[in-house]
Amino acid sequence: MNKKILIAVDLSENSLKAVDYVAKMMECHSEVDITLLHVIREPSPDVMPDEQERRNHVEKNRAESLGLMEKAGARLTAHDIPEKNIQLKIQICSKPVTVAELILHERRSGKYGTIVVGRRGMSKKEEFLFGSISNKVVREARDCTVWVVE
Amino acid sequence: MNEALLKEKIAFYSRFPHRGKVNIVTDTSEFMNIKESDVLELAGNFYLVRGEEIEGRFGLDGEPKFWVKKAIDLKDGSSKVIKLVFHESFKMYIGSTPIQCFRSPQKETRILDLTRLDPHFMKGFTIQDRCGNLVRIIDKIQGTRYYDYIHELDADHETYFHEGFPAILDNIVQCVEAINRLHRMGDVHGDIRNDHIFIDRNSKTYIWIDFDYTYEWSENPFGVDLYGLGNILLFTVGKGFHNVPDMSACGPEGMKLLSCLTPDDLSLFFKHRVANLQKLFPYIPDSLNHILMHFSHGAEVFYETSEELLHDLKACQAELIR
Repeated sequence: MNKKILIAVDLSENSLKAVDYVAKMMECHSEVDITLLHVIREPSPDVMPDEQERRNHVEKNRAESLGLMEKAGARLTAHDIPEKNIQLKIQICSKPVTVAELILHERRSGKYGTIVVGRRGMSKKEEFLFGSISNKVVREARDCTVWVVE
Repeated sequence: MNEALLKEKIAFYSRFPHRGKVNIVTDTSEFMNIKESDVLELAGNFYLVRGEEIEGRFGLDGEPKFWVKKAIDLKDGSSKVIKLVFHESFKMYIGSTPIQCFRSPQKETRILDLTRLDPHFMKGFTIQDRCGNLVRIIDKIQGTRYYDYIHELDADHETYFHEGFPAILDNIVQCVEAINRLHRMGDVHGDIRNDHIFIDRNSKTYIWIDFDYTYEWSENPFGVDLYGLGNILLFTVGKGFHNVPDMSACGPEGMKLLSCLTPDDLSLFFKHRVANLQKLFPYIPDSLNHILMHFSHGAEVFYETSEELLHDLKACQAELIR
């Protein structure tokens, strides 16, 4: 069994629940490798035309995210998962690709056996208009296990 | 062009002589200050301003859009719609769902360029004014808004559906194909409404207008466009929208129809709008109604791409021909 787990986090309460769930499930499996992946989308140039403003926006977001990612990582070490087995990864995305595509790409390139995502509990209308990352990951993931934590 | 020649052109093309000095505008930043009878000078071209376009949604006269000028090109007398830069961001509501919307001249410029050979998109080009503002010079479409066209059809629904609808559906399918081409190029229309299609008076081509709305990237980049296409389909199949309060006002017949409706038959976004039109008009074929139900409250699966919608629409077309 592949012991690499990819947890996609947007640093919302729900995605932290996913981290907690994995921490509890993997408490007795110190050999597991866990990557926390957070995707920062650069604003679209149509929405924020000034390039410097876009860069600043991403940098601010990255700085804030890093602190929160470290806290999320601490939730894993608190359950005896060795720090050396935890990787924090922030991916900046400046293209109009979806977060689900990025997660699946990372899954393939990192050869993870399991993807873990939280669920935001969107309404039907929101799902129609904005789409759901967890639904897309479940639908399109291949050759791996997907855990959806609610 | 000197002032005398300019006045001559104005008199020739507008049929009214210009009195007093011509106010020539080269910086369009302060669009509120640009008035009727001013002349915009943009990259050596001269456009006589004839007033503002009006936000005339749903047959009602609305507010003037001060950033959108009606104009005459003084080179050849052609009518233009000139869109000036107006960076606004606002919360738009789709039904009760808020969505942050931005007006982007860059986006409209890009789409004008991408679709310059596509007959189903408005035609125009962008010029930068003296201060670098992206001014879009759009060819005025001589024709009818789709919204008005459908509303002015003088036929009961059954006659409309059997006689007029198949040809109208063919045109709407062409509009969806045009949106699909745009999506495949990685862009979205952003403001798909039944009054954003014009029917050209001469060619009868259905043409999309006004694509400067944009949104933050989301997991489903085409969701807003698909919502708009769903509305247009409901409007087209139903020959207008059918709302519960209107049916309640139709006496026993309306009440009888209403009693057959369940919450799942209503629109996902508008709780009083009927999506299951087959319950009102039983001659609507299943394949067509099946598409409409993707936009209903009862839908479990949604279209995510215009390709999927097109696939189903083409199957309907084939069925209607049989």
